[in-house]
Amino acid sequence: MADDFVRRTGGADWVPYWAAARARELRFQRCRDCGRWRHPPGPMCPQCNSMQSEWAQASGRARLLSWVVCHPPVLPAWKDRVPYPVVLVECEEGVRTIGGLLGATAEDLRMDMPLVVDFAPSIDGDLVPQWRPG
Amino acid sequence: MSLRDRAAIVGVGQLPFSKDIGRPEEVTALEASRLALEDAGLRPSDIDGMMKWSIQLTSENAIARSLGVPNLRFFGEVGYGGGGGCGVVGHAAAGIAAGMARCVLVYRSRNRGSGGRPWAGTSRERDNIAAETNETALFSPYGFVRPVDQVALFARRFLHERGYTSRHLGWIAAACRRHASNNPIAMMREPITVEDHQRSRMISDPLRLLDCCLETDGAAAVIVASAEMARDLRQKPAYIMGASQGMGPRNWTMNNYFKDPLLESPGAYAARDVWNMSGVKPQDVDVAQLYDAFTPLVLGSLEEYGFCNPGEAGGFVEDHGLELGGRLPTNTSGGSLSEAYVHGINLIIEATRQIRGTSLNQVPDARLSLVTSGNMVPTGALLLRGD
Repeated sequence: MADDFVRRTGGADWVPYWAAARARELRFQRCRDCGRWRHPPGPMCPQCNSMQSEWAQASGRARLLSWVVCHPPVLPAWKDRVPYPVVLVECEEGVRTIGGLLGATAEDLRMDMPLVVDFAPSIDGDLVPQWRPG
Repeated sequence: MSLRDRAAIVGVGQLPFSKDIGRPEEVTALEASRLALEDAGLRPSDIDGMMKWSIQLTSENAIARSLGVPNLRFFGEVGYGGGGGCGVVGHAAAGIAAGMARCVLVYRSRNRGSGGRPWAGTSRERDNIAAETNETALFSPYGFVRPVDQVALFARRFLHERGYTSRHLGWIAAACRRHASNNPIAMMREPITVEDHQRSRMISDPLRLLDCCLETDGAAAVIVASAEMARDLRQKPAYIMGASQGMGPRNWTMNNYFKDPLLESPGAYAARDVWNMSGVKPQDVDVAQLYDAFTPLVLGSLEEYGFCNPGEAGGFVEDHGLELGGRLPTNTSGGSLSEAYVHGINLIIEATRQIRGTSLNQVPDARLSLVTSGNMVPTGALLLRGD
């Protein structure tokens, strides 16, 4: 499995996001100067150009913006999981992120329904943010 | 000052598309370049500039030294794969308008049919896809890496908000296939119906197999020359009346879900600028090549380039609007969906043939011909005109 899947942290900007998930927390980057949340993370606030940021805990509540269900062919590491859904959510803080779906099937999904964060392992065993009806 | 009408496409060349072309991309790029020179009636010594896609691995100096080009005084590249094609030609025209070149060769060769797909575990591009980048980090832990997934995630929301259905996507696939059916170098020529589309297997729900373009080995080249030079050459010039690029705010390549409005694409920005430069209105366009790596991109372009209002693109395609004889004959050689997927250089060549009057699916008296690039990534557009 290690050969089939390389965990991509995305570099330094992403380390706090994945580290928080391992501790079962959903954290997003927030500007220390103007307070604006941002995700995906980056080195500078696009609103005030500050480079000072913190990783603040999010409420974990979101609404469903869209989803797909992946069918074959997929990367070798994922072939035993098909078909699997992936959801796009907008969090209360205004940022958007994606994740897998827990506690429901794609048939249960409705546009804009409320979802809450939960944590379950990715293919490499690491806990990552996932979403379930809430 | 603008580059409007300062340059023209004067030569085109492309090899037959295939699943396995059997020779390296450098060799096929040279063959296509030679065809484009012959088409234009030019010699390698006439070339003084080159433009390429950033992901084209064969460099300008490799092409120039094999062709025997004595000097390149202008060269460069545009990124973002399928978003880059119109920008590549647009930059060529800009260099010419600025006096930095007189005759610019543009080329794209790509062995993707024989190169395999990373998700099938067969690709030489695998290491590229697996590279750790800021732009892919969020997605790979969820097995969300294929272009079809990225477009499908955008498309489900888009279809929902506009009231479009999968059947509307089927009309687009069927129109492209109809246009490919008499094109001997198209990868897929067997006509399909909306029902065939609906029966094709799901790849990334809501997108099916027939919503996807074709993995292709192909090579093509285009020569852009100054308007003065173009007048004396072998072919009727396709003058570049408008050229634009666009990115929009807070852009993420393919996974462009983090800006507002969510459903606005970089195409909205490229559209505004191509109409401004050319002074043309959408309703004046005779024929279009709308980038179609996946069917939903065409619905978005119909709206964003102003061919219909938001929510009306479904009726437009259902009404045979994209087909020869329809309101806007589109992808008249079959497009990426049925002719070949080579990051859109075939669309630029077909747009040129329409101006020359030599398309296999010629729109009578076509004078204004639009081409767009991929709108899930930073993009561009070209408006070509005849006399």
